[in-house]
Amino acid sequence: MKNLVAFLIRFRVFLGFLGLQLLCFMVYFQFVTYPRTVFMTTASKVNGSILEGKKTFYDYFLLAQTNNKLQAENAQLRSVTFDNYYKLQRPEFYKNDTLYRQSFRYISAEIIRASSQQRNNYFTINAGQFQGLKQGMGVVSQNGVVGVVYKVGKQFSLVKSVLTSDINLDVIIGKNEIRGILKWNGKNPKIGSITGVSRDIVVPRWSEVRTQGATGIFPKGLLLGKVLTKRSMEDQSLWDIDVLFSEDLKNVHSVYIIRSLIMEELKLLHKDIPFDNQ
Amino acid sequence: MTSLIRYTFFFLFFFLFQVFLARNVEIGAGMQLFVLPIFLMILPFNTSIFVMMSLGFLLGILADSLMNSYGLNASSLVLFAYFRPLVFSLFLPKDGYDNLKEPTLRDMGWRWFLLTYGLLLLLHLVWFFILEIFRLGEWLLILRNTFMSFVFSYFVALVLQLFFRKQNV
Repeated sequence: MKNLVAFLIRFRVFLGFLGLQLLCFMVYFQFVTYPRTVFMTTASKVNGSILEGKKTFYDYFLLAQTNNKLQAENAQLRSVTFDNYYKLQRPEFYKNDTLYRQSFRYISAEIIRASSQQRNNYFTINAGQFQGLKQGMGVVSQNGVVGVVYKVGKQFSLVKSVLTSDINLDVIIGKNEIRGILKWNGKNPKIGSITGVSRDIVVPRWSEVRTQGATGIFPKGLLLGKVLTKRSMEDQSLWDIDVLFSEDLKNVHSVYIIRSLIMEELKLLHKDIPFDNQ
Repeated sequence: MTSLIRYTFFFLFFFLFQVFLARNVEIGAGMQLFVLPIFLMILPFNTSIFVMMSLGFLLGILADSLMNSYGLNASSLVLFAYFRPLVFSLFLPKDGYDNLKEPTLRDMGWRWFLLTYGLLLLLHLVWFFILEIFRLGEWLLILRNTFMSFVFSYFVALVLQLFFRKQNV
């Protein structure tokens, strides 16, 4: 007992250091592993309202710019209306009196905090449970895909940006719809990288990269960016493709959250895929 | 009593500086501005290490909650506070530290401040980026971010020190 007390006194500084570090790591891993907890992040109410106050102040400097962007977007939306519908291929059943059914709905929100300098970047947006947001919904801006909803608070949510190492979006490249997976290597916030494309496939420069829509989070064909360069990966017969993002992720201010009406159905279907037990 | 008010002011100043200004400075190429360590640096020589570590933790966790860096700053600041006495004893002047003086550029001179703060800031940043990136395969990225942020933060710390130098508080 005496020895123990002596030990504790002798190493009290180091033990104090260790204790505090443990506390830090707890916060860190709680954030990384439990996406539901909102405590101590910008999705919590207190921090969210502080940041929103700051945002209202900064908003005045951007009024003209935001207005221009919205006008341009309105004009575009008027010309393109059927993008988010799919055709019901049952001409016999006319009772619904419609040929198309909506499969995606959009909820608008403002970004109140963003980063693009860290290894993994997150946005805080001013929409949450009250607006019907759920974890895993897609987030787009008028120029392209921005990210996926990561944590949902009551009024604010955290969005995992495409500038994270494990975003892993499924994408298609060009007219031939070559499939690949989007990642980010942490170096340049303007450039992402695609893996999983076999080296015998020709990938032309400046071909457009769009969402694949396989998981039902995003509709198929949303623009993400353009192919910039490609390199062959070491030890593997795969391309390492650089993508120039179509959205300037440093300057996004308003976004739309996509509520998918077909995701549940897709999930149910995918659950029935049998596993191979060899 | 006056010193308590003074250090409370510094605490708030560096906290607000980091959260509302330094976070918005985006230069690119991994350059980030860290000003929180300066607060721990300028605490008096005879501050207890426990007080320093607790203050570092508090300052870090408050800043983290507003910057979504979830405990990274807190952890690095606790490390900074833990190593401060060790580094200070490395660069001990001939007749020891004078408790009437403060560990600032004004009181201790260029050579001492550049060496101690440089070493401590480097430790802080290496720890921060290793934790943030958390993958030794990306050691080049860790190295680049540490180097660029070090140059930037070091420079700003010196400018801030010169700024407070004239002011005889």
